[in-house]
Amino acid sequence: MKISDLLRLSADNLRRRKGRTALTVIGVVVGTFAIIVLISLGIASNANNEAMLQSWGDLTQIQIWNYAYGSVGETPKLDDEMLETIRAQEHVVAATPFYSSNEINASIYAGKNERYEAYFYESYGVDMTALQAMEFQLQSGSWIPDGLNLGKKKIPVLVGANMGYGFQDTRKSWNSGKRQRWAGETDSLGNPVPPFVDVEKDKLTLRLMAYDSNGNEKTQDFELVVMGTFVSDTSKHYFTESGIAMRISDMKMLEQAYEKLSGKKNSSSGSSVIISGSGGVMREQDNGYQEVYVKVDDVDNVEEVENWLHDIGYEQTNSMTQIRNEMQASVAKSQMILGGTAAVALLVAALNIANTMMMSIYERTKEIGVMKVLGCEVGKIRTLFLVEAGSIGLLGGAIGVALSFAASAVLNNLNAIVAFFGGEGIDLSGLTSMMGGMAGMGGDVSIIPPWLVLLGLGFSMLVGVLSGLWPAHRATKISALEAIRHE
Amino acid sequence: MAPIIRTVNLRKVYRVGNEKVIALNDVNLAIEPGEVCCIVGASGSGKSTLLNQLAGLEKPTRGQVFIGKHEINTMTENELAKFRQAHLGFIFQSYNLLPNLTAAENVALPLMFKGMPRKTRLKLAKEELKKMGLVKRANHKPTEMSGGQQQRVGIARAFVAKPKVIFADEPTGNLDSATTRQVLYRILQMARENNITFVMVTHERELAGCADRVITIMDGKVQSDVVVDEETRSRSRAEMFKDLVDLAPAEPQTTVPAQS
Repeated sequence: MKISDLLRLSADNLRRRKGRTALTVIGVVVGTFAIIVLISLGIASNANNEAMLQSWGDLTQIQIWNYAYGSVGETPKLDDEMLETIRAQEHVVAATPFYSSNEINASIYAGKNERYEAYFYESYGVDMTALQAMEFQLQSGSWIPDGLNLGKKKIPVLVGANMGYGFQDTRKSWNSGKRQRWAGETDSLGNPVPPFVDVEKDKLTLRLMAYDSNGNEKTQDFELVVMGTFVSDTSKHYFTESGIAMRISDMKMLEQAYEKLSGKKNSSSGSSVIISGSGGVMREQDNGYQEVYVKVDDVDNVEEVENWLHDIGYEQTNSMTQIRNEMQASVAKSQMILGGTAAVALLVAALNIANTMMMSIYERTKEIGVMKVLGCEVGKIRTLFLVEAGSIGLLGGAIGVALSFAASAVLNNLNAIVAFFGGEGIDLSGLTSMMGGMAGMGGDVSIIPPWLVLLGLGFSMLVGVLSGLWPAHRATKISALEAIRHE
Repeated sequence: MAPIIRTVNLRKVYRVGNEKVIALNDVNLAIEPGEVCCIVGASGSGKSTLLNQLAGLEKPTRGQVFIGKHEINTMTENELAKFRQAHLGFIFQSYNLLPNLTAAENVALPLMFKGMPRKTRLKLAKEELKKMGLVKRANHKPTEMSGGQQQRVGIARAFVAKPKVIFADEPTGNLDSATTRQVLYRILQMARENNITFVMVTHERELAGCADRVITIMDGKVQSDVVVDEETRSRSRAEMFKDLVDLAPAEPQTTVPAQS
């Protein structure tokens, strides 16, 4: 007995009971359809989340801190030496602190008689090569080379796109509306208002201000030379909008200068200094850079690098991968719940198939007996019924997949379709957020990749075959004697 | 000549509730190759049970059944299936054609189980149908045929694989007497032509007259085992088939549909 014979006999038998076969197939169609559509919603949610994370920030970046809340062990010192270790690690492209000093009390002055003032606190010491690796972009000017030396009192800097709006007019009172200007402000004619200071042209003076032990104010001036202006991208860092970036060495130099000015002891590196307590006890607070960014070569390696960072003692880390994993977990959870519901539909379909096959076998008891008397082996009888059950599953699966594609197309083009019939747009974000995704990204609502088609077909056929197992087994137990039993 | 079918102390006991019913009680038989053998007896005598044992449809409670050199009572179900494919044919009282297959496909069924390609087996099936005078019905479904025609398809199916032995369980039980005679004539003719041993269960005494051997079963025992002499057999066959002698290749004129 050949496979073609088995297929022909099965097809004949299914065709013989068209109505019943059709009803059973519909059961499988519903189950397969539900599962595929729900999985496709989940896939689309993940894709949309991914797109959104990308818009939020760099997926290949990890943030680490030199301290950890509730940590058991000591967090190792996050200094330049450690930075070199991190840079040498596999998959790490670059690492840089965004190093700002809380210690320095300073302001930036510009304009005639130093009329305009900006605060210094939004200034960071950074690794210029790392910025380039992290895809920071300049709209004008150039990156600051490591060896550049403009003179003792001149510091090369890069400025944020709207850094100029950080300047205030010191001639105006604090509550005057004219003391500040902001980006996007327009005058009565609707023309944009420029900032008080053109940072690329005007001279910027950085003034350190400290008080010595006698309470006398001491100052020291430096000139900030703008080498370039960032393209504003706050997903990378806020200083690209309104701050200042300089080389780490320059920032440290400023820090030392400030310490000298205020009469404190020099510290070689790090954000903190040694503070002498009232009891004269020296307290070591220096644990290197507070915050360091690590750039990884690929999204898929972020987790590995992050785990490595945990292993070497940095428990406090942050990356988009964490959020991404959480989002995926959330989508997977909803998928499990909804998919489970759909699976119930398929389970009912499976029971349906089993029932149909059982009925079919009862009706064909005599036929099965005859086949046995005519020399049909037990295995072939089993195969015959499994093929029949599997065909019901596969047929239902195929129709279910086809319907899913139709439903997917409708969901993805619902607004266009509704608009065509003169209706208003429908917001499907509820459907997306139901899947644990973030709404409003405007991506596809449902995505059916090829593997899902194969999965749908394979699974429905498997369901058919599995539900046919018991009936087929029953069929093999039918005695050849049934053939000669008279009704 | 060695008997083709032999039973040794064949015993079959059914359990009905708490009671034991002895259907066959130490039956010893030997049927010669090429014999046309009738098993007769009243209802409940055990004649059908005997046929089931001989054809291996049921396992005996005790004793042995040999077909040729093969002891079939020890065979597994699959071994029996293979054995039937190779050596046995079967004709049923209620024809038992598969309703969704054509006449030719039904005839070809045993060949399909053997694994013969579809084209070859349908060709053989049509040849067999031709001998039965049913070549025009080859592509008809069983429901489109009369009882007599269906049974002739059944006969073609039994003969198509050239078995050594054909068993028949009341093959004419559902047919009227004219059709019965036609069908029986075909069987005897085919069996003789192919030197096939034919074992038939019937409760119609007059059919037994044309057999080579008549085994009468009563209360599960062989009451009599008679080899019919040449003269008696010729006479009863001539009597039975007197209006059919020149009918062989043509379609029978009258076929009354019989209800199964």
